Amino acid sequence: MTAPVLELRNLVQRFPTPDGRSVHAVNDVSLALRPGEILGLVGESGSGKSTIGMIATRLLDATAGQVLFEGRDITHLPERELRGLRARLQIVFQDPWSALNPRMTIRRSLQEPFLLHSDLRGATRERAVEATADLVHLPRASLDRYPHELSGGQLQRVCIARAIALRPKLIVLDEPTSSLDLSVRAGILQLLEELRRELGVAMLFISHDLETLELVSDRIVVLYLGRIVEQAPTRQLFAAPTHPYTQALLSATLPPDPDAPLARHVLSGEIPSPLDLPPGCFFAGRCPIALPACREGPPPAHQRGPGHVATCIRVPDGSSALPA
Amino acid sequence: MSLLEVRDLRVHFESRDLYNQRRVASALNGVTFALDKGEILGLVGESGAGKSLTTLALLGLLRPPARIVGGSARFDGQELVGMPPAALNRIRGTELTMVVQSPRTSLDPLARIGDQLVRMQRRRGPVDKAEAMRRAQAMLEEVGIPDAARRLQAWPHQLSGGMAQRVLMALALVNRPRLLIADEPTTGLDVTVQAQVLDTLRALVQGRGMAALMITHDLGVIAHYCTRVAVMFAGTIVEQGTVTEVFRNPAHPYTRALLASTPRRIAQSGYRITGGAPPNLYALPTGCPYQDRCPQRAAICATPPPAAEAGGSHRAWCHFAVPRPETVDA
Repeated sequence: MTAPVLELRNLVQRFPTPDGRSVHAVNDVSLALRPGEILGLVGESGSGKSTIGMIATRLLDATAGQVLFEGRDITHLPERELRGLRARLQIVFQDPWSALNPRMTIRRSLQEPFLLHSDLRGATRERAVEATADLVHLPRASLDRYPHELSGGQLQRVCIARAIALRPKLIVLDEPTSSLDLSVRAGILQLLEELRRELGVAMLFISHDLETLELVSDRIVVLYLGRIVEQAPTRQLFAAPTHPYTQALLSATLPPDPDAPLARHVLSGEIPSPLDLPPGCFFAGRCPIALPACREGPPPAHQRGPGHVATCIRVPDGSSALPA
Repeated sequence: MSLLEVRDLRVHFESRDLYNQRRVASALNGVTFALDKGEILGLVGESGAGKSLTTLALLGLLRPPARIVGGSARFDGQELVGMPPAALNRIRGTELTMVVQSPRTSLDPLARIGDQLVRMQRRRGPVDKAEAMRRAQAMLEEVGIPDAARRLQAWPHQLSGGMAQRVLMALALVNRPRLLIADEPTTGLDVTVQAQVLDTLRALVQGRGMAALMITHDLGVIAHYCTRVAVMFAGTIVEQGTVTEVFRNPAHPYTRALLASTPRRIAQSGYRITGGAPPNLYALPTGCPYQDRCPQRAAICATPPPAAEAGGSHRAWCHFAVPRPETVDA
């Protein structure tokens, strides 16, 4: 088996609050990405998915745990050495309007990676800039425009172009299509699939939208309050969602078809505060089939199939299915 | 007579460019629809299509440079366009209310939830405070807020996003309005919470015989919670009908493109190039507004498309939306 391009080991992230407590944003998360793989990271607000993306790209230092990139421990790599690494490890954010410098033309923004990380100059660099624009199907005419002159979809193409310019091994995509209209969104997803095929770049695709992840990712990791509750190959997750939270999440997704039946598990109860997490399973307070033991200690991870792991006490005896 | 009848509503933005030349953006170009009691009408379309603008125009909330330049909007027989502010104020917040997208910035941060609900009821006239508090608590319970008595004392910052959204809904419903306008009411909410809020909305509309106009970009929400849908493009409605009619037999090329771009449909039928530049509202083409992006474009598209009847209440404004016979099963 090939070595993972990215490996996160036992990540913990706490943010101190002014009153001396701490927000437990990420709670012992371990995951690995194979080269060229698209891994979906799904969770609702407060699940820690963006924090994990920031830690993976070293934009944020974890409270505890390790980040390994291409087998090398980069958890405490000093900033100077990180610079060289960043050419190989890129990120694209949700909001392309705020991710680009409004005072730079698109061409200038796309030159930036080459200025920082390559010795391409003059006409050679211009050719590289234009080849990058072509890769994301950005019309050459857009290159000499400013961000405010382009649509959101075009801007997100620019951000993706900037990220792939130096042929990274991994791109973290944090909700890259959430701020875009539906029809524009489809074009971006198609582009990402194409780039993965052509460049073999691995992607950590962070999203709150399971349907988007179903379409683009090979594998999905489901987070709840900073803890992995389930991970599985995409098809397997949709065919046999095992953790009660995954089941509830899937059933809450509304298919765009009025004739599609809804198997609804409407949850009640409130999401616990990350300032004050319960000792046992974080989902126990909203779980319709919680047992007394669920509230006692952290639930163990159980293998459900090849690459399919669910962190629920009910998995071994097969009783984790929510009642219809 | 329908509860709300909007006819040929037109809104322009008028400004001047760097050379002091007058520029006009045609943001709404003849919006026409009607809404009856017990219905939830979904308004869908891409950003800039005029969804929110339509609701702001109805509520008399447009400010310069936006201006209503034509058309009519009758609410329960009364003309809203050109209604004096004092008269509008008697309707807004009482008969005709609105829930906006961002619950956190829409609640008064300096007032407790209960007091905000009492303040809202006073829009109808003087009310006894104790009685208003009782109604406020009942309303919070109705929108599914647990422990409502205690929540009356809560401050907005103490509420989660889902809770705050439900409080906004309680504010919009406490005066028993006849029409609720909801602009992306669940967009900021997690999906597991979204279902609770939408279930509440639907139960209230059906239970009280009110009507709702819901703006959303989420086709799943429309498919499962709306009774009818209107698809907007470049400030006009290009197709409308019952949810079943439009989702089963989309008749306008834009609607078909929209439906084809959901992840589920892409998984079934692959990617189709559907995007394209948003229309330039300063220079819309004559005729069909969608022609520049339409795969079926022909010479006739330079003339205004007629309302093609596609069966029942289903209409599409397209030269090629020929009426389809009801699907015949073999």
